Amino acid sequence: MGFIYLLSLLAGIACMLLLDRRFRLYFWRDARAATVVTLVGLAVLLLWDLAGIRLGIFFRGEGQIATGVLLAPELPIEEPVFLTFLVLCTMIIFTGLQRMHERHKARRSS
Amino acid sequence: MTYLWLALGFVVASAAAGVMFARVGSSRQSTRTNWAIAALTFLVLAILTAVFDTLMIGMELFHYDPTQLIGVRIGLAPIEDFSYPLACALLLPPLWLALTGRRRQKQNARRHSGLVSQALLVSRPVSWINTAYPFAAAMLLTTREIDWVLIVGTIYFLVPYNLAMYGINDVFDYASDLHNPRKGGMEGALLAPQLHRPLLWLVAVTNVPFLIVLAGAGGLAVWISLAFSTFMVVAYSAPVLRFKERPVLDSITSSTHFVNPAIVGFALAGVHITPGLMLLLAAFFLWGMAAHAFGAVQDIGPDRDAGIASIATVFGARRTVRLSMAAWTLAGLAMLATPWPGPLVSLVALPYLLNAAPWWNVTDSNAADTNRSWRRFIWLNYGSGFLVTLALILFWRQTS
Repeated sequence: MGFIYLLSLLAGIACMLLLDRRFRLYFWRDARAATVVTLVGLAVLLLWDLAGIRLGIFFRGEGQIATGVLLAPELPIEEPVFLTFLVLCTMIIFTGLQRMHERHKARRSS
Repeated sequence: MTYLWLALGFVVASAAAGVMFARVGSSRQSTRTNWAIAALTFLVLAILTAVFDTLMIGMELFHYDPTQLIGVRIGLAPIEDFSYPLACALLLPPLWLALTGRRRQKQNARRHSGLVSQALLVSRPVSWINTAYPFAAAMLLTTREIDWVLIVGTIYFLVPYNLAMYGINDVFDYASDLHNPRKGGMEGALLAPQLHRPLLWLVAVTNVPFLIVLAGAGGLAVWISLAFSTFMVVAYSAPVLRFKERPVLDSITSSTHFVNPAIVGFALAGVHITPGLMLLLAAFFLWGMAAHAFGAVQDIGPDRDAGIASIATVFGARRTVRLSMAAWTLAGLAMLATPWPGPLVSLVALPYLLNAAPWWNVTDSNAADTNRSWRRFIWLNYGSGFLVTLALILFWRQTS
């Protein structure tokens, strides 16, 4: 039983939130909207995972760095954490790129 | 190949939802810029996926059934895995922009005022249970366990299915509904024309993912029953098909709207088909036809004025009422022939017959008055639901 994977994911999420806070991108810009987007993303991706498990496409591995704790057959506790990270990562990249684009535009017009 | 189909389903649904949110969220010019930024986001995510998916697969965190993959890999990552970041980039940024788009939000608030609350009204919350219950009962009594398919299916037949059924109906009935005083309250809502397109999008976005997931949970029987159920929902009121304006087919289609959830439930549960089960479904179907036909009687006047055909405009009020009563009687008799405790349910026919009996000699000129009896349906249905539930509990205890 290992915690490296779970801890890395949590560390990844923490880094995303630090970027968020520093540049006021997502939760720090509109907490309500960010919560809705994160929950919708998580729900869709979880449904997708469950469908894939049900169809016999995805299987959990026996990796040493995972806890081995299961939420449902073939669905380890790390999976929803990973999916949350994926959603956060998407939104931080998107809002970050958007910010860079705005700055670029503002500089050119001034 | 299975993974590819699953991924395609989710990517297409995400793209459809994303396009819809993008329309709500921003002006045309900024929409183009935002899609370009979303594309760039996907590019960054794809590079991260190639690196980290390879690492995660290498560390044996998860693996795939190789027969389900097309076999193209980038590093160790199967090409299908890239559908996850793709769906994220298609769905989430537009949703975010729609929720945060300040400038146009005020304008949109007026234009789309209360899409969600309107949609809720359109979906007829008092009738939600009529479709969710047959599904849940059919599946639970067959599998005898609550699993995720049962939960997802029940949610689907509780809300999105009803939103599709009544939403499509209200959009395409707008013109004739304008002259119908019954619409706008408990029996349905008049839908402002500017909400028609957003509502149809909402129907698609709320239905397609559920249909994909449910179809993935079963085999051919499930696919056929889901396809049939969806077709009947669309065909009832969609232009050209308009089954609701084809006499007799109107009652048949309306009845399948309530029987189909049960059939999908049985199919997902992999039920063993017996004569008793067929009789039960036949009785349910007759009950539904009778209810629709009786309901059509009250609209004979307005329907004829508007040139709309229905089972009642063709047969006339009196014969339609009598046909309905015959169908309820037949349904009761069919239940008598099912194994115990099925015969108990035949009692359900009685209140419906008593409710309709005063109209045995109704004429086309006082047909509108049958609305008095029709309004009792909602409560009769809850009462019958109670009796059916008792019978189902008896059945459960007898067979477990």
